[in-house]
Amino acid sequence: MNKKKAVRISLLILAAVLILIEVVAIVVAWPKPAAEASLGPEESDQMESAKIKAETISLHKKIGALAPRSVFIVIDTARNTLTLKSGDKTVLEAVVSCGSGSILEEPGGKRTWIFDTPRGEFQVKSKVIDPTWIKPDWAFIEEGKEIPKRREERFESGVLGDYALGFGDGYFIHGTLYSRLLGRSVTHGCVRVGDKDLKAVYQAASIGTKIYIF
Amino acid sequence: MPSVWTTRGKGTLALAVFIALFLTSFAWGGAPPEFLENRLAKEELTLAKTPSLYFIVLLKSKVIALRSRGMTLQEWKIQGLHAWGDAAPLGALTLAKKSTLFPPKRAKIEPAASEEEAATFELDALELKDMPSRFTLFLSGEIRIEVRTKPSGFFPRLGNFGHIVAWNLWVPLKNLAFQLRKKPFGAIDIRLEKKDDGEALYWALHDGIKGLVFPL
Repeated sequence: MNKKKAVRISLLILAAVLILIEVVAIVVAWPKPAAEASLGPEESDQMESAKIKAETISLHKKIGALAPRSVFIVIDTARNTLTLKSGDKTVLEAVVSCGSGSILEEPGGKRTWIFDTPRGEFQVKSKVIDPTWIKPDWAFIEEGKEIPKRREERFESGVLGDYALGFGDGYFIHGTLYSRLLGRSVTHGCVRVGDKDLKAVYQAASIGTKIYIF
Repeated sequence: MPSVWTTRGKGTLALAVFIALFLTSFAWGGAPPEFLENRLAKEELTLAKTPSLYFIVLLKSKVIALRSRGMTLQEWKIQGLHAWGDAAPLGALTLAKKSTLFPPKRAKIEPAASEEEAATFELDALELKDMPSRFTLFLSGEIRIEVRTKPSGFFPRLGNFGHIVAWNLWVPLKNLAFQLRKKPFGAIDIRLEKKDDGEALYWALHDGIKGLVFPL
């Protein structure tokens, strides 16, 4: 009986200690304001407060001035959509195909390609009508073919649609033969658009048009 | 000696715990709002001047926004929010890594053995639905943001219960351990409304992206 009682008391003491540690931990972990927040002005200093508000308005104007003034393109790689915008107004919304995110390793392990559509801010650097695809090395490796020595052997026409807009590093917004796959992430990084939407985007965009990809 | 485990004792304890947990949903106030707004604008201007995407988490407004050049590209509403520990510094933070139980895996393309094999097409892409809806974002400054969504189904609900227990018991202990080692520690628990939102947020925030976490 005494032994049982001793064990019971020990367990109660242990539980009490653990609860005490937990309470201390909760008190210590209570959310604390950022250290820099304490450097703010005293609430009673109205002039300082008005000055800060005026500065904030000026800063917001500077931020607002960074947005593009003319038409721009927004590409959502998660939902495979392309939106042509002018300010807050949506001019066009299109279903597209973006990068598959797959990995291709060159046999022998020399090079690896990750087929993502890049993210960030870009701009239209080139506009091409009736583009010809100059197949890169990965296209041959993927098909199990030898990489050609002559540049002419890389040319393939009719696969990029009627128009292409380049935005750097070999990435393009272009057409596709596989319209049924629009809406899926199937490309090697480029953005494929249906014919009708591609024409509208091509006509609306010019060299320097901003492209935001996320 | 009266026992704490009477009905009244249990009720009082439960009420105290509830109040404590409720209060941690108002995370990190402090300075006057005009100071914080000014600071947010200054920091955002620095980020907006670069061509990179950035994120802003507004804790009191309960919004997470993905932006570029001051424009909101995508926004998610936060349904519930709790915090422990140090507030996030009022400056740009970098997403060091994302952690989740089952991270999405990229498919590996095997070069075709023949032209016939090359002609067949199999779709094996990393898509939005492959993204987790429950994950942790580890930011610079030892700030971690745990993101979860409303669970549906037995196992997600069980997992959610486990998370709640861990959040309220384990995370404060972890904070205590960090404090004893004189290291900063801040944790934010964010609950989004829909599973889609969690997946989209995981997709949108890539490693290395910079952002701001403000108590506004």
